[in-house]
Amino acid sequence: MQTIDPQTIDPLSTTFAALADPTRRAILSRLAEGEATVNQLSAPFEISLQAVSRHLKVLERAGLITRRRDAQFRPCRFEAEPLDSAVEWMERHRQVWGERFDKLESHLVDLQRKAPRGEGGEGVQHPTTERPTGSSTHKEPPS
Amino acid sequence: MTDVHPNVGELTYVRTWNAPRELVFACMTTPEHLTHFWGPSGVSTPLDTITIDLRPGGVFETVMVNDADGAEYPTRGVYVEIDPPATLVWTEPDVEGGMTTSITFRDLGDGRCETTTHQTNVPEMFRSPEVEAGMLSSFDRMDAYLATL
Repeated sequence: MQTIDPQTIDPLSTTFAALADPTRRAILSRLAEGEATVNQLSAPFEISLQAVSRHLKVLERAGLITRRRDAQFRPCRFEAEPLDSAVEWMERHRQVWGERFDKLESHLVDLQRKAPRGEGGEGVQHPTTERPTGSSTHKEPPS
Repeated sequence: MTDVHPNVGELTYVRTWNAPRELVFACMTTPEHLTHFWGPSGVSTPLDTITIDLRPGGVFETVMVNDADGAEYPTRGVYVEIDPPATLVWTEPDVEGGMTTSITFRDLGDGRCETTTHQTNVPEMFRSPEVEAGMLSSFDRMDAYLATL
């Protein structure tokens, strides 16, 4: 479907915003390997502990990490759920286009059976064969 | 309407067609064709619900109807760019904070064509080139993350 519950918009925007920073993505990448403290997370970066803490706050607000309250060093833990929502958005829209285009493929076969074209289209009798589809890095902005 | 970036790239869908691009373009822009395929599985789009005013600023509206329960999903789009049979861009201001879809139609020279569909709903505030670059690598990372599941 192309509609969505409006309540899901803000969390998704928050997730995208939190991810739109290379340092925060690097922090998440490190946390995906396991829990880490602020000190451990700061080590690879040439930025202050305070700056790392600010990034952690953004990630925490987006629900991408949690921090244990009870432990002395409050280790951070990666939470995949918001990321899953963002991925789900892509998968959902990809599915709509996939199903829509499957139907279009059948429709095109019908059209060309009724009125065969002079070039190329002639003799297109094989029904909906699988075509190379799906994601691609090929980009052609229609400027 | 003037500052649209259809190349942000949240969703890219490439498909090859056993038909000339003029025909595929016509299918995407003619109600009599669209009614055959616009709704995904289990969803119909009655001909009389499709309104197309094929010019920049013109409307592209449909009502998709769920075959199972009759639920209706209206879409309200506005065309941004039309360059037959190469380019089609429209926006849906009501969807997810504003969604833009662009389709480019490439002639493969042998009677077939290839379409590249981009769909984005990035809020305006995130539409700087820096953020777009960040977005793209975010999604690369998500793809990598998905591969580990």
